[in-house]
Amino acid sequence: MQNNNQKKVAIELININKSYQKGSNKVVVHDNFNLSIAKGEFVALMGPSGLGKSTLLNLIGGLDLPTSGSVIIDNQRIDTLSEGKLSTWRAENIGFVFQSHHLLPVLTAQGNVELPLLLTALNSKQRKQHASLALRLVGMEERAKHLPKELSGGQEQRVAIARAIVSDPKIILCDEPTGNLDRKTADEILTLLTTLNKYFGKTIVMVTHDLRASEYASRVINLEKYIHDSKQNQLSAVEVNS
Amino acid sequence: MVQLINRSLAKVKQAMGLATINLKSFPHRAIASSVSILSIACVAAVILSVLAMTQGMVKTLEKTGLDDTLIVMRAGAISELQSVMFPAEVNILANHAQVLKNNDNQAMVSAEMFVNAQMLYLDKAGETHIEKLALRGISKGTYRFRPHFKMAAGVKFKTGIRQVIIGQAIARKIPELTVGSTITLGGAQWFVSGIFSDNNSVFESELWADIGMIQSDYQRGNTIQSVRLALKKNTDITALNKEWQDDPRLNLRIMYEKQFFASQAEDLTRLIRWVGFPVAFIMALGAMVAALNTMYATIASRSKEIATHKAIGFSGVAICFSILFEALLIALVGGLLGILPLYFIFDGWTASTQDANNLSQMLFNFELTVGLMMQTLLFSISIGLLGGILPAIKAMSLPVTVALRDN
Repeated sequence: MQNNNQKKVAIELININKSYQKGSNKVVVHDNFNLSIAKGEFVALMGPSGLGKSTLLNLIGGLDLPTSGSVIIDNQRIDTLSEGKLSTWRAENIGFVFQSHHLLPVLTAQGNVELPLLLTALNSKQRKQHASLALRLVGMEERAKHLPKELSGGQEQRVAIARAIVSDPKIILCDEPTGNLDRKTADEILTLLTTLNKYFGKTIVMVTHDLRASEYASRVINLEKYIHDSKQNQLSAVEVNS
Repeated sequence: MVQLINRSLAKVKQAMGLATINLKSFPHRAIASSVSILSIACVAAVILSVLAMTQGMVKTLEKTGLDDTLIVMRAGAISELQSVMFPAEVNILANHAQVLKNNDNQAMVSAEMFVNAQMLYLDKAGETHIEKLALRGISKGTYRFRPHFKMAAGVKFKTGIRQVIIGQAIARKIPELTVGSTITLGGAQWFVSGIFSDNNSVFESELWADIGMIQSDYQRGNTIQSVRLALKKNTDITALNKEWQDDPRLNLRIMYEKQFFASQAEDLTRLIRWVGFPVAFIMALGAMVAALNTMYATIASRSKEIATHKAIGFSGVAICFSILFEALLIALVGGLLGILPLYFIFDGWTASTQDANNLSQMLFNFELTVGLMMQTLLFSISIGLLGGILPAIKAMSLPVTVALRDN
């Protein structure tokens, strides 16, 4: 039973401390933070600015390292991996969707989606086939030959999602994916993410300020409340033990 | 081992992929990169010019002089111009047992005059021009010491009259000097009887005439400046030198002719290198800074792009190499831009320099060989590499989270 539960865990943050130096001040972002996300979950991380939502996303994606604590993804501790191994791990396991999509302006939609496949053993023809499939999944097949500047904001974000899923990662990390979009387009993007979660089993962690966006998630974590509750529980545990 | 090779190949594949993308966006940065390209082009042009000049000069001087011929000058003279010798000394040398004799049992000796002459000539428009050239007074025996000598046009000068033959390097430089034309030397009119070649040696930068006429026109009495001697094969040059040094009637300096011109080449090329290379070095530093600036600016403008590559999973090493690749591309374009026009315009072009020892012009060809061009290209690429390495390292260590957050 315990084994089954362990298998289901996709992301585990254990006793995470994260702080950085700002001038002469030490800024503590996370203090003994713990979080567990099961495989196939669609988690929305919400809360006011400055609570470290994006930092958590970066820690999960291996873009940042905790000051102390463990980051375990799919039973593998990643915070101890070397820079090179972390890059390879990221290429195989994580897909990123950013608020500003960060598509390369000189590449077509197809070219942008093919980019992560350069890190795989696929040949050129296979890369093209995979990219076309990803673009079809996000409804952008028709726009494959277009440059980002010829696409609308929503279309750009769809291409960014196609790029995130093209190498079939287990986890998709989205940082304010609808932050720059109008309501209708935002709903389309969120529906797309829900589809990827429900029908393709992707574990999705999404940082958002948008309350409507959180409605699409299977679990919403209000970070302010979550941190407060965690502290209370820790205090209670200390009192019981003493 | 196999894993290591696979990992390295994967990194190369990543770097090539990123470099291809960089190439696609290069036209957007072409104007910003043009400063670096032009700086490197200037450095390449200067370096190649210095190398080509030295090569041309060395080749010209290398072709001058014979291995088995001894040149004799006054002790202390470092050039023929500084030397003075008297007929009595020539006789002593000529009568030495080690000096070869010809079929007529005459010593194989060439007494020569050397004058840094001011030559006046008229161009087609009738305007007078002045050139400082080496005028060599020779005798019949001299031709034996110039095995590559050939008349390219006209005939040899006649002795006892003011006739002169001119080296073909001079004829190339001054087209007005043709067979049958007249020039002024030492205030007198001289008739150009012919044009000679001598295997592109430094002698092609000289005017040759009868030694007696030159002694007379330049009021040198019967003095000469240098003597060439052909020696028997078994001659012990050290012993011969000692013998002549010990002879109170002589005050001489001897050396092989080939060695004499080699040392002159060394002096000249050292001078060019001392002037040329420091200039090139300072320019290279400037070009390197320009490349550095360009690449830093490129990275600053593409920080989000680079961060995105890292987030996707491209390794820092691959990103580093892709940036270096761009720096090398800039250097390559710059290098070619400096080299190719120089090649098409100046290859084989005749340049002249003032021989510091003889104070007359020495003419030589620009030698833009493939080897020199490759050396220059490699130097240009090195500038790009040095200019690109720090920005590449910066790109490699770019903090992704900061770059992606920064708006």
